[in-house]
Amino acid sequence: MDDSNAKKFQKELNGGLVGLVLLAVLDRSEEDLYGYEIAKRLASANDGTSIFKEGTIYPVLRALSAGDLLTSRIVPSYSGPPRRYYRITEQGRAVLAEWTAIWRSTASFVDRFLEQGHSP
Amino acid sequence: MNRSAPRSIDQYLKQLREELAGEDPALIQDATYDAEEYLRAEIAAHPDKSEADVLEIIASTYGAPDEVAGAYRDTEVKVKAAMNAPARRIPASGAGKFFGIFLDPRAYTSLFFMILSLATGILYFTFAVTGLSLSAGLAVLIVGVPFFLLFIAVTRVISLAEGRLIEAMTGVRMPRRPLHPGSTQPFWSRVAHMLKDRRTWSTLAYLVMMLPLGIVYFVVAVVGLAVSMAFIFAPLAAVADRAGWWGQPGQMHLSPAWMESLWALPLLLLAGVLLLTALMHLARGVGRVHAAYAKALLVDRSHG
Repeated sequence: MDDSNAKKFQKELNGGLVGLVLLAVLDRSEEDLYGYEIAKRLASANDGTSIFKEGTIYPVLRALSAGDLLTSRIVPSYSGPPRRYYRITEQGRAVLAEWTAIWRSTASFVDRFLEQGHSP
Repeated sequence: MNRSAPRSIDQYLKQLREELAGEDPALIQDATYDAEEYLRAEIAAHPDKSEADVLEIIASTYGAPDEVAGAYRDTEVKVKAAMNAPARRIPASGAGKFFGIFLDPRAYTSLFFMILSLATGILYFTFAVTGLSLSAGLAVLIVGVPFFLLFIAVTRVISLAEGRLIEAMTGVRMPRRPLHPGSTQPFWSRVAHMLKDRRTWSTLAYLVMMLPLGIVYFVVAVVGLAVSMAFIFAPLAAVADRAGWWGQPGQMHLSPAWMESLWALPLLLLAGVLLLTALMHLARGVGRVHAAYAKALLVDRSHG
């Protein structure tokens, strides 16, 4: 039961964070990236296991692109279906800056309480 | 629920389709497309492992079919909420409902789609008929087969583009990714599959049918707009004419002559407004019906 509780909590947290992380990855990347590449970057940044299920980043990429935060182009591939490469837009950068500020203030707010718990 | 873990890409995609059963076919097409891109890339990245070995770890990296299906379902709900313009509160009264159509952006875009469909209809019809007849004519030559395949491939691209256009104009969900036939089979069986695929032929039928439909849509939209605008502005022009704002009064004549009488002018104006409102309703209705029709012919429903 403990395990499923933890999973549920993680999933709820991920809801908004996947979008923030994806924008950040694409913002820092020199070239355009496609879904699989992004998934592997996330995993390699965290010792090979992403805290997101990699399957969950694709619908979010699509949603961000529908909201004009990313643009995409399709490139044929030898290994399977044509790949969709994503690049962040100016609007995406603006949203990323905004979301980053929100995340910083949220994290420091939460930390304040968590650290209080330790010290009397 | 307690299914065996998928051992191959095809099994994985099949389970994913089953998990998404009942969802919008366009969403299912996107989800399987994404999954296939990832799975094939993962297998290509591990040439030393078998397909079954790679799929064993998929549940912990990409996610099991039910988890992935859940992610698409959740995101779809959020995107719908974020992308659709907030639903206007349509006033409850009958008249408010009737005239509320002017606040509906879909009515304007649908009307625009009706006018545009003559141009796209001519384009699609010409493309489909030229492609089909050239394919038939060239079939005896060696270039016949590649030409036909190229023709079908372009047809699929057009089908995707038309879907995007319809989604933008009417708000009905259409595929955002092309349909991928799956590259596991050898070339000739893919060709055979393409030829047997109901969607190939229904797409061609759609392209051909767009010309007559486009003509009807265009005529209805243009005539409706012209007549209602004339009804709305004729009384105003007649009044301006009588007042002599355009030089000598009495230069303008409406036919039949009774329309120029004072009691007829406001009625004419009213008729124009009613006609225009009815046209907006008609446009939105056509948009919805056409989107359903396009979905039936352009989107794959044979899987799952």
